[in-house]
Amino acid sequence: MDEPNFPDRLSPPNDAENFTQRSAAEWVTFMVASIILLALVGLICFDWQTNQNRPPAFTVAVSEAVRVTDGRYYVPFAITNTGGRIARMVQVTAELHQVGADDETGEQQIDFLSGHETKAGSFVFTHAPQAGELVVRVASYRLP
Amino acid sequence: MGQPLDPAPHPATPNIWLAEFQAILQGAVGGFLFGIPLLYTVEVWLIGSTTGPRWQLVVLAVTLVGVALLTQVEGFRQTLSLHPLEALLESIEAVAIGVGCAALALVLLCRITLETPLSEALGKVVFEAVPFALGVALARSTLQGKRGRANETGAPSASGSERLANRRTTAPISRRLAALSRVNLSDALVDLDAALIGAVLIAFSIAPTEEVPLLASSLPPLWLLLIMAASLGLSYAIVFASGFTDRAKRQQRGLLFSPITETLAAYLMTLLASVVMLVLFQQLTPNDPWSEWLSNTLVLGLPASIGGAAGRILI
Repeated sequence: MDEPNFPDRLSPPNDAENFTQRSAAEWVTFMVASIILLALVGLICFDWQTNQNRPPAFTVAVSEAVRVTDGRYYVPFAITNTGGRIARMVQVTAELHQVGADDETGEQQIDFLSGHETKAGSFVFTHAPQAGELVVRVASYRLP
Repeated sequence: MGQPLDPAPHPATPNIWLAEFQAILQGAVGGFLFGIPLLYTVEVWLIGSTTGPRWQLVVLAVTLVGVALLTQVEGFRQTLSLHPLEALLESIEAVAIGVGCAALALVLLCRITLETPLSEALGKVVFEAVPFALGVALARSTLQGKRGRANETGAPSASGSERLANRRTTAPISRRLAALSRVNLSDALVDLDAALIGAVLIAFSIAPTEEVPLLASSLPPLWLLLIMAASLGLSYAIVFASGFTDRAKRQQRGLLFSPITETLAAYLMTLLASVVMLVLFQQLTPNDPWSEWLSNTLVLGLPASIGGAAGRILI
């Protein structure tokens, strides 16, 4: 059943008195909330200072542990953005030069690579990469 | 500001904390209800990942202003009229609750892991916090039934104890014993129906998107248990812990089910709805392995169960 409204309780006597109605629990919430937001702002500023003036740079590590499945050679690689800023559309190409056979190429596009982020994948060849010369490099990237 | 707080043990002291906890829970619930659709949006993660710190700060500031404007009208607390400074304090709290919930949700869905670089994690949290924070500020106006609000208006200082008393108010024993009557059964069915409607309302717009299989495939194996636990916990929190519902009324009509049974039954209902929606949109076909059926259903079950719980308190 609906209770009747009491207009006199609706309007506080004055603003100042209303303000002091905050309970201890509410103050604790406010302090924790402030700490959370300040921490967030602090982390954003920290990231700004440390990362944003360092352009993307890449290192590609090609693993020696080549996996052979069904006559194909899977060469794992890991690319790391050693710079601070994010890079988009990072293009990694692999070329396998071999004597007596056509060159094989592989291409991989990585959508996003943040600063200090590592992403991994594999190139697949039909010839043993140990027999030839394998060159893996970053060809291009785009700034966001 | 800040008159020294009365250190003397206040008779209502335990209830202050309970009431505050409930207010935060209500805010969080509103945040999840508003934030879930954008949480299942791959574009928001990408925008968050690629945005620089300066823009992140701008977004955070704009969110704070927006929430402050909303808090002038409706805050997540039960207070009716606010001192402007107090509204500012409350909006800071609302944004912090939004940030916290968004971060938790992103971790839950493995959008932020230990491998995620700091700048990406911050960007995702900041952008997902926008709908969450707005949801926190709007929690009371969206989720509180008209009846509940009328009661609150009558007694703006409704303390935790009062609401606790409400919660404890149950029908007389004689009526409780008649629990299995047809009326109660139909009431329970109304609840499940409401859960279904709410689940479909929220999850229907998520079911056809590519985010569901994308999220499901990126979760570590046992993570699905965490998703289930979160779905059940949020559903329980929305309906029974947050104090949005008129407990006396609910206890009188939903006597067939205890809160935990009702939560479980509603969850099964929303999972069923999720499967049907996924099949309808051909996201799941008989050729897919059973593990994909399971993971996709549970991942869609999270927003569905939140919608279902909202449906149960609103309908």
